[in-house]
Amino acid sequence: MWDLLTWIDSTQFAETIRISLWIFPALEIAHVAAIAIVLGSIARVDLRLAGFVSRDRSISEISHEMLPWTWASFALATLFGVLLFVGQPLRYVEVAFFDVKILLIVLAGVNMLVFEYVTRRGVGRWDRAPIPPVQVRIAGGLSLAFWISVLVCGRLIGFV
Amino acid sequence: MLQEISDWLSHSQLNAIFSDTTRLETWLIIPLSQSLHILGIGILMIAIAVLNLQLLGIRVTRFSFAENSARWMPWIWTALAILLVTGLVQIIAEPTREIMNYTFRIKMIMLAIVLALTVTYRRQVKKDPNYWSGARKNLAFSLASLSLFLWLGIIAAGRLVAYVGGIETF
Repeated sequence: MWDLLTWIDSTQFAETIRISLWIFPALEIAHVAAIAIVLGSIARVDLRLAGFVSRDRSISEISHEMLPWTWASFALATLFGVLLFVGQPLRYVEVAFFDVKILLIVLAGVNMLVFEYVTRRGVGRWDRAPIPPVQVRIAGGLSLAFWISVLVCGRLIGFV
Repeated sequence: MLQEISDWLSHSQLNAIFSDTTRLETWLIIPLSQSLHILGIGILMIAIAVLNLQLLGIRVTRFSFAENSARWMPWIWTALAILLVTGLVQIIAEPTREIMNYTFRIKMIMLAIVLALTVTYRRQVKKDPNYWSGARKNLAFSLASLSLFLWLGIIAAGRLVAYVGGIETF
């Protein structure tokens, strides 16, 4: 793993990202803009799951409306994030906030999979419920907590 | 005048607290407020995108523009409240970095224009649900394109404050 990162670090591509005056800020703007959309769209779905907003609309309708935004912007955020990482891979892996951030993204993914394949069974019974059952509300709350933590860790990387 | 406001904030009690990096809880104020600021931008961007894309002719939801503008307004105002509070925290913590920066000033001007446009959409459609269709379709298209363009500019400017536009102060 370390060898791979050392090799990435030594490439001309990484060097270009490191020394350019504008590439890093440009990637950062794109990364942050994409993350804002990820968070904004997920927050809406999670707050609905938790029963706080849009109680007059079904959960599946809100999800269908928002999830294309979430996935498209998550793909872009990941792409620009990887490019930012490639510039200084050895530095980032040594920042604890970076490692915790990656771990939190994995946990958010696990939470989503559990919701999708376990909790969501029987969605017909609570899809239109203004306040969904407690396990659904917990899934929404956890998701929002994970994603806000990812956001905070990401921002903290710039402060150490 | 902006210089005086910046100087006054620099010497304020709150500035001393917000910019104290020797204690963990105060060191966390800026990254936490920036994170909440990004969350606010995300909520706002979704609302703005849904409304402006609809004016461009791209429908994201099954609702009409009049219904959508009514539905999204509370999200817009809530997001703006979050952005105002977290933005003010950052200005008080680092007044020179923000107020004495051309990029930040351009961002505020773009923000004022976009908010005026958004309020105008809502006001007109409240009086007449079909205001932005028919003869005004082209006007709506132009204004929506401008809005979306300015929103991207606002986000870019927000991040660029950290890099360019600083005004030399003594």
